[in-house]
Amino acid sequence: MNTIKSPEESRKILNTICSDLTRSITRKDELTRFWFFILIMFAGVGLWGWIIQIDKGLGVTGMRDYVSWGMYIANFVFFVAVSLIGFLISSALHLLKISWSKPISRVAEQIAIAAVALAGIIIVMDMGRPDRFLNVFLHGRFASPIIWDVTVVTTYLTISVLLFYIPLIPDLALLRDRMEGKIPNWKLQLYKILSLGWKGNQKQYKLVYHAMRVLMILIIPVGLSIHTVTSWLFAATLRAGWDTTIMGPYFVAGAFVAGAAAVVIVMYVYRLRYGLKNYFEDLHFDYMGKLLVFVSLVYLYFNINEFLVPGYKMKTAEGIHLSNLFTGTYASMFWLVQVAGLILPILLMLVRYFRKPLPLTIISVFVLISSWFKRYLIVIPTLEHPFLPVQNVPDYFKHYSPTSIEVMITLFSFFAALLIISVLSKFFPVISIWEYAEEKGVDKKYFSEQPKK
Amino acid sequence: MKTKILLTFIVVLLFWRFPAASQEWLVPGNQLNVENPLPYNLENVQKGKDLYQQNCKSCHGDPGKNNHLPLAPPPPDIVSEQMQANTDGGLFYKITSGRGGMPQFETTISEDDRWRIINFIRNYNADYEQLLIDAPPVNAKLLASVNEADKKVEVLAEYEDKAGNFLQLENTPVFISAKKAFGNQLLGQALTDENGRAVYSIPETLIGDEQGLVSIVVTLGENYLAEQVVLEKAKVGKIKDVPKLIRKEVLWSTNENVQLWLLLSYIGAAGAAWIAIGYVVFQLIKIKKSGKE
Repeated sequence: MNTIKSPEESRKILNTICSDLTRSITRKDELTRFWFFILIMFAGVGLWGWIIQIDKGLGVTGMRDYVSWGMYIANFVFFVAVSLIGFLISSALHLLKISWSKPISRVAEQIAIAAVALAGIIIVMDMGRPDRFLNVFLHGRFASPIIWDVTVVTTYLTISVLLFYIPLIPDLALLRDRMEGKIPNWKLQLYKILSLGWKGNQKQYKLVYHAMRVLMILIIPVGLSIHTVTSWLFAATLRAGWDTTIMGPYFVAGAFVAGAAAVVIVMYVYRLRYGLKNYFEDLHFDYMGKLLVFVSLVYLYFNINEFLVPGYKMKTAEGIHLSNLFTGTYASMFWLVQVAGLILPILLMLVRYFRKPLPLTIISVFVLISSWFKRYLIVIPTLEHPFLPVQNVPDYFKHYSPTSIEVMITLFSFFAALLIISVLSKFFPVISIWEYAEEKGVDKKYFSEQPKK
Repeated sequence: MKTKILLTFIVVLLFWRFPAASQEWLVPGNQLNVENPLPYNLENVQKGKDLYQQNCKSCHGDPGKNNHLPLAPPPPDIVSEQMQANTDGGLFYKITSGRGGMPQFETTISEDDRWRIINFIRNYNADYEQLLIDAPPVNAKLLASVNEADKKVEVLAEYEDKAGNFLQLENTPVFISAKKAFGNQLLGQALTDENGRAVYSIPETLIGDEQGLVSIVVTLGENYLAEQVVLEKAKVGKIKDVPKLIRKEVLWSTNENVQLWLLLSYIGAAGAAWIAIGYVVFQLIKIKKSGKE
């Protein structure tokens, strides 16, 4: 924390920070409109695909008797994975008092909310009869990991929203006080309601800190459970490739890789688009690069365990599955994911140059795409080799390839997630103004001052 | 009707790959003149008919009606010249060994029963005396009740004569079946006496449902048009033993069998998280309140 500044200097710094960080809210130009147009249009096309699917049934997908969990479930696992970064950055690093992560935590929470919300929606889209969704709660089996997963996903979504909202309250009060005339009136009213009559007194700050602390501690077990339980959906079966005890930590480590890459990408876009060079500094990208290398190394370690140990033994079913991955149908996808999504990024990011904003972002794009395909490789090849083969079924029952409807609905999920992130960034500052100003040495008492007209 | 067409289509497809079957079906010389060891009498023909209904009719159809399945080669009607031109030994060989779409019955029908089927086929041969005559069915009435204490089914059967009067049906078999999930299971038959009454003792071994209840179905033979009598849920069977297929100790169980510690852990963990969330929401209310001070 910087030393305490004089009143004039404090006000000047606060004004600059405010105008920089509210640029995302006030800016209205062609590009923004175009961006939203694209997002809504593609999300709409995806929704149309879903309407077709509801009308015609799950037969329009490529899923059959063998592969009954297709691209939707792979996509679900991907989104759950991405959402986990919220817990790593805005809770774990905070509690460890790692200060560089503070400006990033709101980005991480945005991603967490968008991803976990979509994860829930994708599950409903995977249902042949979504109108029977409530039966999951009415007739659920308490001993089933699916019920645990439903519980933990909803809990994590609630905590993520709260963890996004509570540090936002002082910011909302700032916006309410300072943005009059710059934004439409309804937005101002929204800030007024959401800021809960914030005055910035000692007691209120104490309550905010306390609530944040409770949430940060709470989100650690919940965050770990969300992906561990998701991994149990697979690991609690006897299928080759899923029947392994390492599944929980393997999923969690992989989730951090995917999430960190997503954060880097969103950070870079904000930095470029909203002119936040002084906020998402090169230093942040450097640290995020190092974090990404660290989690990737952990993930690589789990990958070696996951593939080398059963690969050494090549037990019958496991052997068929592994040779399918290593040298069979899925070999090209498998090695591309492992090399372009894990080994190469680790090697590159060890060099300082590749931790600079642009190179790091490009690497992150590869990491993120690879981690999507990685989930595909976890879900589908295993299902193509059941223990009890069906006889005399058409050949296309034995192989899975997603249909265009599935691709449409999956695209919907991507665009809907981007839409949520974009809307959040249009409504709320992408960095916590009050925390950032305090970090720069501005006393809290200036926050509630009305700026001179 | 639709399913029948579909089924036919599938069967036709299945046998498509046997074009060789359309060629002459030759019977080895030593088999050709084997003689039927069973006498040609009503009992054997009647049994042969039952066997034919169970095993052959689905492809060969009803005798003389030419309603066999459209397969290649077509399964001939048993009345047809093509069928009757076979010697007894030839028929026996073909039933025993099968070819193409015609299955072998060597392992599924006993040797005597195969000869009985041949006896039934000969019932439609002009050189043989016709023992089974297809007379038009007679209207009949059935009354039945169950004596649960003695485990007996008591039946009264009547038939309608040409004048329209109902008279006692004498010396005729009544069939007693148990209603099962997939059709009726024939238990046995009883002959009516001179008063048209028959009594059937239900075997001790009959298994009912979880309470030992069985629905008994009483019917007359196919020469009579009578509504079957269904005696719903009579307590005449043994109690069905329903073993619990999931052991109590397994974790992945139904809600009735759920492990208490697992249920408590789940409720405890989820409950604790939601109580904490509730606590945070309560802090929000406090923030709002302290803004008014």
